[in-house]
Amino acid sequence: MIEPVALKDFFLTFFSAAMVIMTGGLYALLFAYSRVKSRPGLMPLAYAAYAGLFASVLALAYAANLLNHGFWIGIVLLMLVGYLLAPHAIWHLCVGTHRDELAADAEPAEVFSTAVNSREV
Amino acid sequence: MTALGKIDSSNLNGGQKLAVKYFSVAVVLFGAQVLFGLLAGLQYLNPDFLFGILDFSVNRMVHINAMIVWLLFGFLGSVYWLLEDESGIPVVGLKLGNLAFWVLTLAVVVVVLVYLLVQVGAGSHASIWLINEGREYIEAPRWADIGIVVCVLVFFYNVAATFTKGRFTGVGGVLVLDLVALAGIYLAGMWFTPNISIDQHWWWWVIHLWVEATWEVLVGCLMAYGLMKTLGVRRKIVETWLYIEVALMFGSGILGLGHHYFWIGTPEYWFTIGGFFSALEPIPLVAMVVHAVFDAGHHKIRSTNHPALAWIIAQAFGNFFGAGVWGFMHTLPQINLYTHGTQWTASHGHFAFFGAYVTMVIAFFYIAIQKWRGNVWMSGGLVGAWKWKWALALLHIGMLTMTMALLTAGYEQSQIERAIEGSSWAGYFAAQGHHWFIQGMKWRQIGGWIFAAGFVLLVWDLMTIGRRETQPAKSLAE
Repeated sequence: MIEPVALKDFFLTFFSAAMVIMTGGLYALLFAYSRVKSRPGLMPLAYAAYAGLFASVLALAYAANLLNHGFWIGIVLLMLVGYLLAPHAIWHLCVGTHRDELAADAEPAEVFSTAVNSREV
Repeated sequence: MTALGKIDSSNLNGGQKLAVKYFSVAVVLFGAQVLFGLLAGLQYLNPDFLFGILDFSVNRMVHINAMIVWLLFGFLGSVYWLLEDESGIPVVGLKLGNLAFWVLTLAVVVVVLVYLLVQVGAGSHASIWLINEGREYIEAPRWADIGIVVCVLVFFYNVAATFTKGRFTGVGGVLVLDLVALAGIYLAGMWFTPNISIDQHWWWWVIHLWVEATWEVLVGCLMAYGLMKTLGVRRKIVETWLYIEVALMFGSGILGLGHHYFWIGTPEYWFTIGGFFSALEPIPLVAMVVHAVFDAGHHKIRSTNHPALAWIIAQAFGNFFGAGVWGFMHTLPQINLYTHGTQWTASHGHFAFFGAYVTMVIAFFYIAIQKWRGNVWMSGGLVGAWKWKWALALLHIGMLTMTMALLTAGYEQSQIERAIEGSSWAGYFAAQGHHWFIQGMKWRQIGGWIFAAGFVLLVWDLMTIGRRETQPAKSLAE
C-alpha cells in the first residue's frame, strides 16, 4: 500500500511538501490580490505560483513513490485540481457573502465593482 | 466606567469578571510551561542536571500539561469574556461558574504538586486514581479527570443556558455545539484497556480531535468575536465565514485523525484515509488566505486595539506555517514512517500550538485588559507601545529559533535513528549523540531563553499597558 521514501529522497520530500503549501498560499494570495485590487497583470504571477505548486506536487509524488499506486495517483490529481480550484471557489464565496454589504455601501470599493456586478469571478 | 487607565473590575460584566480570573491563572500556568520547558531543555544538554530531584520525565510532563491546561483556561476565560456581549443577558448560573473555577484551579494545583512530590514508583490501580493516569499529555489522575469533566459540564451549562435564555447568535450556536464535542471527546481518554492499540486509538480522539477539530472551531469563534471587536467587521459576514470555515475544518480535520493511526496497530486502510484527509487539511488555510486578502481590501483597517489585532494577524500566519507547512512536510505515511515521534514532531508541535492557539489567547488578554482599564486608548501612539511590540517579537524569534533547531535535530534523527539504523536501540543512541542533534538542542535552549525573555516582557506589558493613557478608545463607528 505504501512504499517508504528512500533515504536519498528525504530532503526532496520535505522540501517539496513544504513548497506545496507555500506555493499554494502564494497562488491564493496573488489570485485574491489581483482580483481585489483589479490588477489583472498580477494574475499571470498567480498562475506562475500555481505552476510552482504543480512542479512541487510532482516532485513530492516522485520522491514519496506516489506514482506507483492507483490510490496515491488519485491523491496527486486531487491536490493538483483541488488547489487550482480552491481560490476560485473561495473568491465566489467571498463575493457572495459580502454582496449585501457592498450593495449597502454608498461608495462600494471600486475594486469590487467589476467582480460583483459583472460576475467576472 | 471609572477612571481611565486604572484597573477596576466595575468596568466588567459578571462573565468578564470570571474571565479575568481564568486569564490570571492562565498567565501563571504559561509561566510554568516556559519554566519547566527550560529545565527539560537543560536536561537534554546535561542529563545529570536535577537528576533524582526533578527528573526529565516530570519536567516534560509538567511542561506539556501546563500548556494544555493554560490554553484551556485561556479558552474558558475567552468564552466567559464574550458570553454576555453575545447573548445580551447576564451569565446564567454565574455562581456555579465561579465555584467551578476555584475547584478547577485547586485541582490543577494539587495535581502539579503530586507530580512534583511523587516522581517515581510502580504504577498500580491506586496510582491511576491518585497520582498519574499514565497517558501521555493527559496524565492527570482519574479523580482530577472526573473533576475536569464536572467543571467543563458546569461551563457548558453556563454557556448553553445563557445563549438559550438570551440571544442565540451564530457564534453562540457554533460555540455550544463545539462544547458538546469538547466535553464528550475528553471522555474517550478516561477509560482503560490493556490492549495498547485500542488504548492509543481512543487516546488520539482526545489529542487529535481536541486540537484539530474542537479547539480549531473554538478559536474560529474567538476570531469571529475578535474581528468584530477590534476591526468592526459586520456580524453577518463573520458568522457566514465561521460556518464555511467550520465545515472545511471538520470536513478535513476529523478524518485527518487517520495520520495518527499509521503506526499504532490499526488496520492498513488508515493509510488511505489519513493520506487523503491530510492532503485536504491545508485547504481551509488557502481559504483563509483568499478571505483575509478580500477583507483587507474591503475594510480600511482601523483598529481599536493594536496589540490584539497584531496577535490576531500573528495567528493567521502562525496557523498557516505551524500547522500547514510544518504539518504537511511530514504527514504522508511514506515519510511519516521515519519522522513520527522524533524531534520533527516536537518542531511541528511547538510551532503549531504557538501559531494557532497561544496567539489567539494572548489577543484576548489584550482585549480584556483594555476594558478592565476602562476601555482605554490602545491604538496608534500608545504610551509604552515598545513593550508589546518587543514581547511579540521576542516570543516569535524564540519560537522560530526553537522550531528550526528541533527541525534540524529531527531531520538527523529521521535519517540516522530511523532510516539507517532501523529504529534500533543502538540507532536511538547514535542519533542522540550526533553533533547535529546536540547542536539542535543547544539552539533550542537559546530559543527557549529568548522566548522566556519575551514572556517576562509580555507579563510586564499586560500589567502596565494603558496605565498612563488618559484618552478613551475610539469607537469603530466614528
